[in-house]
Amino acid sequence: MKRRLFLSGMSSLAFWPGPRGALAAQTSLGSEAFRNAGSRVRITSMKVFGVSLEPDSDRPYVFVKLETNQGVVGWGEATLEGKAGAVMACIDDFRDFVLGADPVQVEHHWQSMYVHSFYRAGPVMGSAISGIDQAMWDIRGKMLGLPVYQLLGGPLDPRGVRGYYHADSEDREELIRLRQTALREGISCFKSGLPEYYEWIGTRAKIERAVRHIQMLREGLGPEIDLAVDFHAKTSPSVATIICKEVEPLNLLWVEEPCPPENVKAMARIARRTTTPIATGERLIAPHGCRELIELGVVDILQTDINHVGGITALWKVAAMADASGISMAPHACEGPIGGLATLHVDAAMPNFLVQEICSGVRPGSKENIWAEWFGFPAMRMVDGRFPLPEKPGLGFELTEAALKKFPFGGTRPMARVSHEDGSVAEW
Amino acid sequence: MAELDIANVTWWALREPVSRRKYAVLRLEAKGGLKGFGEGGEASAADMEHVRQVVVGRSATAYAVAASQLAAAPRVQAAVNIAMLDLIGQFSNAPVYQVLGGPTRHHARALVSLEGNSDDELIASLKHLHSAGFRAFAVPLPPAPARNQGQAFALAVRNRLERLRAAADDADFVLDGAAALTPGDASTVAAALEKFHLLWFDEPCPMSNLAAVRKISDESAMPLGFGRFVEHAGEVQDALREEIVDILRPNLARHGITRIRRMAALAETYYTAVAPHHDGGPVGTAAALHLAASLPNFFIQQIPVPAAEADRQMRADLTSRPFETVKDGFADLPNGPGLGITVNEQALEKYRERAA
Repeated sequence: MKRRLFLSGMSSLAFWPGPRGALAAQTSLGSEAFRNAGSRVRITSMKVFGVSLEPDSDRPYVFVKLETNQGVVGWGEATLEGKAGAVMACIDDFRDFVLGADPVQVEHHWQSMYVHSFYRAGPVMGSAISGIDQAMWDIRGKMLGLPVYQLLGGPLDPRGVRGYYHADSEDREELIRLRQTALREGISCFKSGLPEYYEWIGTRAKIERAVRHIQMLREGLGPEIDLAVDFHAKTSPSVATIICKEVEPLNLLWVEEPCPPENVKAMARIARRTTTPIATGERLIAPHGCRELIELGVVDILQTDINHVGGITALWKVAAMADASGISMAPHACEGPIGGLATLHVDAAMPNFLVQEICSGVRPGSKENIWAEWFGFPAMRMVDGRFPLPEKPGLGFELTEAALKKFPFGGTRPMARVSHEDGSVAEW
Repeated sequence: MAELDIANVTWWALREPVSRRKYAVLRLEAKGGLKGFGEGGEASAADMEHVRQVVVGRSATAYAVAASQLAAAPRVQAAVNIAMLDLIGQFSNAPVYQVLGGPTRHHARALVSLEGNSDDELIASLKHLHSAGFRAFAVPLPPAPARNQGQAFALAVRNRLERLRAAADDADFVLDGAAALTPGDASTVAAALEKFHLLWFDEPCPMSNLAAVRKISDESAMPLGFGRFVEHAGEVQDALREEIVDILRPNLARHGITRIRRMAALAETYYTAVAPHHDGGPVGTAAALHLAASLPNFFIQQIPVPAAEADRQMRADLTSRPFETVKDGFADLPNGPGLGITVNEQALEKYRERAA
C-alpha cells in the first residue's frame, strides 16, 4: 500500500528493466552485466555536504546525497569526529563506485567498496562507506515503497525503539530531578561518564572518586532506571577491573569501553574478572572488526555505530553475529540526525536489540531544535521512552539542500586533546 | 660521526657505606673530547674487556648495535647504553629525552622505598620521605614465618598498610613482595587487600611459572607488578601474553634505556604501564628520568633515598648538584644536554670500591 502511495505520480515501471533490458549509460561496475537482474535506476550524482552547526564544531556532519536518473534521491551520513575533511575526500574517492551504479544492489556495492579498496577499511573509509550505504538503502526503500525497517523484516516492537539520554551531572539534586522527569515521561535508561582522566595505574584518590561518582549516579537516579556508565576508554584494564568490581552491587546496565579497543584480550581480561556487564564497539569497523570480540565472548553488549561500521548493511550483520553469541545491541549515535534515524530502522529489526543511544539530554537543546526544523518532526526525540519509527519509505524523511545552507562547513576540527598532570597524553 | 667515536672506557665500582647498595659508573671518552657517563650493575674484569672490544672505535650513535653486541654482559651493556646516549645528547646539545623523541611529559611521578623492618621504623621512614616531597611509597612485606602463611600473616600485612595510611592520608602505596611468597599466598594477600587500593603489588611471587602467576591475576583485581628479575624481552612478551602484569618493572641496571624502551613498546599494546626498577645511584636516576620523558606509557620512577646521612652524602657528591629531589610526588626532569648532570670524577675515585 505504502509503495503505491509513494509512487503515485511517478511511474513505478520506470524503475525496472523492460523486455529490452536496454539502458543508457552503464559506467559502474557490473551494471551492464546485471542489466536483466537489476533495476533501471542509476545514480547520476553524488553530493557531499559538510555541515557545522557551530563554526568550530569538532564533528561537522558529513552528509551524502545521491541523485538518480528517476528522480529518487537518497541521504546518508558519514560524520567522523575530528576527521571531516578526510571522510569527505574518501567519499569522493568512491565516486567511480557510485556514479552509474544501480542503487538496489547495495550489498554488491558495499562489497565492492570494501573489497576493491584492498587495504580494508579503517574509520575514515568505514565512515565513507557508511554514508554511501545509508543513501543507497534510502533510495531502495523509496523505490520499493517501504521503510527500511520493513525491508529488514521488522519491527520487533511496534511501539518504537527504546532509547536513552545522557545524564552528565555531578550534582545529586539535579539527578533526583532527572529521575522525576524520567519517571513522568517514561524514560527508562540513562548513561553517564567518569569524572576524570586516568593513567594506566590508578592512584587511590582517583579510583575512590570514580567509585563514589558512580554510586552517586545510582543513588540520584534510583533503582528503577537503568544506568550505564561510559568509561570512554579512559581507563586501562588494570584500573577498569578495580572500578567495575567495586560497583558490582549497583547492577549497572553496562560499563562501556572499559579500555581502548585495539586489544581484544585485554578487554576480555576485564570482563573475566567482574560481573558488571561490558559494552564496547563504537570504534569498530565492518563485521570483520567485531569478529574477534564476539568469538572470544568478551562483551555482553555491542555498540557499533551506523556512521562508522559500514552503514545499515554492516550494522545489521554485526547484530546477527552478536545474536548468535547471546550479545545484545545498543548502537552508538553521537553524530548527526541522518545516522540517528537510519539506526532506528536497523534497531527495529534486531531480535537482540537492547537500547539506542542519542547524545542528547532530556530537554531538547539548540541541536535538537535545528534537527526538528530540518525534518519537520522532532527527530531522535523519544515519546514514552521510545523513538517513534519513521513511517515513510526509505529512511523516512525529507531533507532539502537549502535547509543545510544555513550551516556551512566550518572546516575540520580536532576532538578534545587532554593531558595528565605531568603533561602526557590522556585518553578523552 | 668520527667525533663521537669511542676512544676510551673507564669503570668505577661503587658502594654506599651504610646501605651497602652497589652500582657502577662507566665513562666513555669520545675522540672529539666529550665524556659520556652511564650507570650499571656489577661487572667483572672480563666483562670490561668485552666492552672495550665492542665499543672502542665505534661511534656512540651506534648505541643500538652496541646494545645487541653486549647482550652477554647485561650490566655493563646498560651503562654503555646510557653513556652513549649521554654523548649523543651532548654532541647535539639536547637532553637525552629529546634525542629519543620526547619529552612525553614535563614531570615524572616518583616512588621511593621505605626503609626499616618493623612497622614503627617504616612509619618513621614514611614521615621523613613524605616531608621530602614523596607521595608514593614501596612497603616491604613483613617476614613470612613459614613456607605457607595463615590468616595472621594477611592481617599483619593489612595492619602494616593501615598504620602507614593513617600516618599519611594522601599517600599511595606499592606492596613489595620481593618474589618471596608462593603464588597461593600471593593470591591470598592480593585478594585480601583488593579494596585497599594499592598502586600495585610488586613481585608478589617468582615469575618463573606463568600459569601459577596467572591464577593470582585471575583471582583478584589487584594490579600486579613484575619485571625486576627479567633478563630477556621475550619474558616480558610471555608475561603480557599470559595477562599477569599490570605494570612492567624492567631493571635499569640490567637493561639501560634502549632495551627498556623496546620492552615498553611491547607493553603499550596491552595498555600496560612501565615503572623501571632502579636501586642504583644518581647517574642511573638521571637516566631513568630521561627514559620516563621518552615513554608514552611511563607511570612512576623509583628513586632510591638512603636513610643514612653518609649514603646520601655520597650520592650528592657524585654529581655537581643534587637533583634527586621530589616535590608533591613528582620529580623535575634534568636540564641541559645529554643526561643533564655533571659527574664529579674526584668523587668517583673517592668512593671507588677497593678490592678487599
